Amino acid sequence: MEDIQAKLQNYRTAPFDARFPNSNQTRNCWSNYLDFYRCQKALDAKGVDTAPCDWYKRVFTSICPISWVQKWNDQREEGNFPGKI
Amino acid sequence: MLWVIAKQLKSHPALIPLFVFIGGGAAMSIAYLSRLALRNPDVSWDRKNNPEPWNNMKPDQQYKLFTVNMDYSKLKKEGPDF
Repeated sequence: MEDIQAKLQNYRTAPFDARFPNSNQTRNCWSNYLDFYRCQKALDAKGVDTAPCDWYKRVFTSICPISWVQKWNDQREEGNFPGKI
Repeated sequence: MLWVIAKQLKSHPALIPLFVFIGGGAAMSIAYLSRLALRNPDVSWDRKNNPEPWNNMKPDQQYKLFTVNMDYSKLKKEGPDF
């Protein structure tokens, strides 16, 4: 728990992710976006503080184009979001 | 048809390298395409039971064939579990 706080304090940019080793990082962006909202939903359901989920938020904010994030946020609000959260 | 080819090869042995190189090239293409189809973590054959196969990888698992500057043994899982 303190570990994740330390990581968030020292955050500079998204670290290398072995699941996405090539230059096309689209899936990295998508995966972290989904993971943030899934993490929030799971920790909310357990009643635990959702601060650790911020790691995923920092990563997708670093990697994803802003227009994509805005489009997905609108889709989530309308209920059109294509991913499984 | 294979027997016709074998007969022609016996009378024109210079054609053998042609078969070797074309065959080798075809084998390499098929091998790479099957590696992509079966091992690539972006490919999901069974969407119901394995919808996000990239999540099944370990944080230090290497998919690329050659990595020049990346030390995979030092990687750990970054994000928190939930």
